[in-house]
Amino acid sequence: MAEQDSRTPTGPGGHSRRKFLRGSGLAAASAVLTSQAAVAIEEAQAEAAAAEPKLLSGEAPLTLKVNGEEKSCTVEPRSTLLDTLRDRLDVTGPKRVCDRASCGACTVILDGDPVYSCTTLAVSCKGKTIETVEGFDIGEGGVPHAFHQHDGLMCGYCTPGFVTACKAYLDKNPGKTPTLEDVKRGLDGNICRCGTYMGVFEAALAAAKTMKGA
Amino acid sequence: MKAFEYSSPTTPEDALKDLAGPGTVEALSGGTDLIGRMKDYVASPDRVVYLKDVKALAGIAEKSGGLEIGAGTRLVDLSADPIVRKRLPALHQATVEVGTPQIRNMATVGGNLLQRPRCWYFRNGHGLLGTKDGKSLVREGDNRYHAIFLTEGDALFINPSSLAVPLIALNAQATVVGPGGERTIPVEKLYQVPKSSDDRELTLAPGELLTKVTIPAGEVKNGFFEARQKQSHDWPLVAAAVGLKMNGDTVGDGRVVLYGVAPIPWRSEAAEKAIRGKALTRETAEAAAAAAVEGAKPLSMNGYKVALVKTTVKRALLDAAGDRYWEEA
Repeated sequence: MAEQDSRTPTGPGGHSRRKFLRGSGLAAASAVLTSQAAVAIEEAQAEAAAAEPKLLSGEAPLTLKVNGEEKSCTVEPRSTLLDTLRDRLDVTGPKRVCDRASCGACTVILDGDPVYSCTTLAVSCKGKTIETVEGFDIGEGGVPHAFHQHDGLMCGYCTPGFVTACKAYLDKNPGKTPTLEDVKRGLDGNICRCGTYMGVFEAALAAAKTMKGA
Repeated sequence: MKAFEYSSPTTPEDALKDLAGPGTVEALSGGTDLIGRMKDYVASPDRVVYLKDVKALAGIAEKSGGLEIGAGTRLVDLSADPIVRKRLPALHQATVEVGTPQIRNMATVGGNLLQRPRCWYFRNGHGLLGTKDGKSLVREGDNRYHAIFLTEGDALFINPSSLAVPLIALNAQATVVGPGGERTIPVEKLYQVPKSSDDRELTLAPGELLTKVTIPAGEVKNGFFEARQKQSHDWPLVAAAVGLKMNGDTVGDGRVVLYGVAPIPWRSEAAEKAIRGKALTRETAEAAAAAAVEGAKPLSMNGYKVALVKTTVKRALLDAAGDRYWEEA
């Protein structure tokens, strides 16, 4: 692994978003001297407080919203979302397999869209909603249950990614009855080296049916 | 990957300031190219500027009959756009074929256009020309996915952007901003053939930012066809896009652009000449296909691409004509 980075953050031109927001807060206060002014100042101050330093460098605190829960850790900017989830936040559903945006085992749902967490920087996910397989309903009618019922796995390593991609696909196409072709297209960002694709597709079709009926 | 400092500007102005350095700087958008290159130490920037928080860079808008596509527009949003689907089927088709659902959710138009070559010698640290001890690893090694045009030169990789091909066929213009202001260039001028290992294949200067591509107004019949080894995940082996300004029933001015055959998106002048003034028939398409392979000089393992050029050019032209004969029966 590469060495730790010890550079101190420096912003070009001496600008900072925090200073700018503080300035705009003052401008707002002098322009609107009503009860709304207090709200404006409060908002500007809250934004300024939330604003990050302009440049991140080295380890820095980060809070991510994972499965509805705020989780905090410290990471470097170079940490991927996958490594941060697994190694810092103990969310180990997403798997590290190819680590090159090719296999889909690391799939998470970011603001509603399935993405490869191995190829997403954790720092870029601040404020976004992250869903992993840990958060899914495992009862009857859910996607994990359908995988179980239709034998959608063999060694199981690709399964969390497939379940996540499947959940995202069905959530994005509510009330539809997908064909086998649709499901193949919807899940073609994931690979199963054991080759249990037929079970996976059957599980996806069954889950779609149950969700439509629900 | 090497540690870097990270900025996430929210305006194009701040992005330009951050892109100015100091040190080596890479712009990050979807990350589907850059993060892999950083993991493999092919790129080790001092600073990474994350552009997806610059909301002004994303979005598709109709302007005086033309279509402006922000460089930060995600491929999933481009593929869902009703105007693109209806009027620019070549661009729509190329977009829905890119990568996987996850990739299209992450990747952006700008990132697709400016991704670095996928040549495995480049990705393994042997530079754009893929040389070792003065010898071309490409020429002597496995070159099955490399170029078949311009192969008398040293740059044997292929341009990796499958969106550049329909965009050039549609005469799209790229808007680039930099420290010196704004400039607009044809999308094909984003690329160049590197002469030495110090050259880049992209013409963007350090600190410059691609902000949008604009497809000009005017009716252009367009079509696209790609040949691929795998149905998903992979890049096409060869693809062709055509953009045709019609004079009644005959082609007035037509563009034929190929993916997968040269270090730049390859405009086939011979094929363009072969269709000028002709009706869009199967005979015209076959003549253009034959013309498109003139001058091809495959390497030791990629002669198959010559046949694929013929097929993709013919089918892209007939796709534009609405004659998708290969889907019959």
